Amino acid sequence: MRTVLQRLARQLMLVPVVAVASYFLMAMLPLTTESESKRQVSPELAASYRRDLGIGEPLGFLRPWEKLFRGERLGTSAQGITGDELLRKLSGSVGVGMMALPLALAWALGFALARTHWRKGRWAALGDAVPAIAFGTPVFIPALLVAPAVVERGHLLPELCAALVTSIWPGIFLGTLVGDALETELSRDYVRTALGKGLSPGAVLRRHVLPNVLPALLDAVGPVATALLAGSFAAERVLGLPYFGQLYVLAVLNKQVAVVVVATTTFASLLVLVSLGVEVVRHVVDPRSREARA
Amino acid sequence: MSGMPPRARFGFVLLVGLGVLSLVAGRLFPDWLANTCPLGVDPTRPDRTVCELAFGGLWVSLAVGLVAGALSTLIGLAVAAVARLLGGALEQVVLRGVDAVFALPDVLVVMVLQLAGQSLSDAGLGGGLGPFGLMVASLALVGWAGPARMFRNRLATLEGQEFVAAARALGGGGAHVLRVHLWPALRPFALAVFLSRLPTAILTESTVSFFGIARMEPMSLGRYLGTSYAALIYEGGSRVVLPAWALLVLLVLGASLASQALSAGPRKAA
Repeated sequence: MRTVLQRLARQLMLVPVVAVASYFLMAMLPLTTESESKRQVSPELAASYRRDLGIGEPLGFLRPWEKLFRGERLGTSAQGITGDELLRKLSGSVGVGMMALPLALAWALGFALARTHWRKGRWAALGDAVPAIAFGTPVFIPALLVAPAVVERGHLLPELCAALVTSIWPGIFLGTLVGDALETELSRDYVRTALGKGLSPGAVLRRHVLPNVLPALLDAVGPVATALLAGSFAAERVLGLPYFGQLYVLAVLNKQVAVVVVATTTFASLLVLVSLGVEVVRHVVDPRSREARA
Repeated sequence: MSGMPPRARFGFVLLVGLGVLSLVAGRLFPDWLANTCPLGVDPTRPDRTVCELAFGGLWVSLAVGLVAGALSTLIGLAVAAVARLLGGALEQVVLRGVDAVFALPDVLVVMVLQLAGQSLSDAGLGGGLGPFGLMVASLALVGWAGPARMFRNRLATLEGQEFVAAARALGGGGAHVLRVHLWPALRPFALAVFLSRLPTAILTESTVSFFGIARMEPMSLGRYLGTSYAALIYEGGSRVVLPAWALLVLLVLGASLASQALSAGPRKAA
């Protein structure tokens, strides 16, 4: 447990670093009106941005957080949202991610088993081609392909479609890792012994091989969870889901500086929580990790 | 090329072929491409054909990927070398910083950096960086942490070998050992890391351009897809999106295969 806490402390350091970096990045933006360019903001808006970020005030860098905790609107225009709304939108994105995770695990297991099966036959090239196609396809492309169907037939849940398209890349990535681990395990002596004693290949896989493959899966679940959350941004944008990804993109496009600072930090905090969750699950599920750290 | 695994050869041929094709079709003979395109004109830009836009975008995406991938690899290599030379607690501090950057999602950070960079450019403080330079700088600033981790681990492994111990015993300093003994062994790995960064950079750029945040001019494949996807709603609209997608997949396929085969090569040799 000590190692888990140490890792948590290290990960927690990420939150203030992100908060400070994003605040000062936004605070240094030249939100002036000196130029006649269309992209420059009006004097009223520039003054409003400065107020939002507390520029020029003592302890002004705490201003976005004060607004967040007081329940005030973070931004300057109609898109500016309160902390409660931000959390609601974040929970929507997390919901899509939670739906995508089991789908990704199903893709992973299915692809790993298929790849092991293909390796022996003439379909071996598919084991390389499928990951390459999945890795070469940004999330927005499958989202674009399902978008007309979602628009035309309202009964298809946009959230489910978003989860489906978001899960493909992480699923195939996990599947590649699990497939490699599966191949290694299948060549071990205990598998030959179990088969030699008359156990069916399915039973050997279920009872002996898969439990040994699980740690490889857990190693990759952390980064994959991040990819699921970040990947849902594109799906939300294409399918018109009003969640965190949509909010973040609109905040950046509309230069909602205080929203960007708070949303970036909130997202970093979520990543820390996900990372901790994965670490705890690994500690509970994998006895070898406990023994190695003892 | 003769000793290269077939997968790597296929990847390199695909990558170089796409590069040559985009140069020839997108830059050298755009008129020929415009007149012979079987896919017709883009509904949202009646003066341009789908082929012109797709191959023009391929050229831009490839250029962004190559430059950003090279810069990320160089920064990662420099950070890893400095970390190994510092050693001890300082190396651990550098590694924690690398981990912190690595934990951040690329797309999110590139969006924020684009916002900051574009605001500076609008105010005349961009330092001469156009949309291309700004995108490359953003991708390099985000993408160096992965290569730094990989290089640091590879350097630590190489330093455990006997010839390095012998060089140290004979009085070789850290920088000398790195330059003379480690770098030759690290070079093929550096090429593999660079090739692995190439698809990541292209996909991140595509996604950010797709959101409409990056102002890539001329349009990259991602920006083209981002500005044309409404065509999918109409009958036959897939002819607008599918060629650009296919080129993106082929580009990433080439880079991934070449990178995987190169990083697997030294292990097989060992």
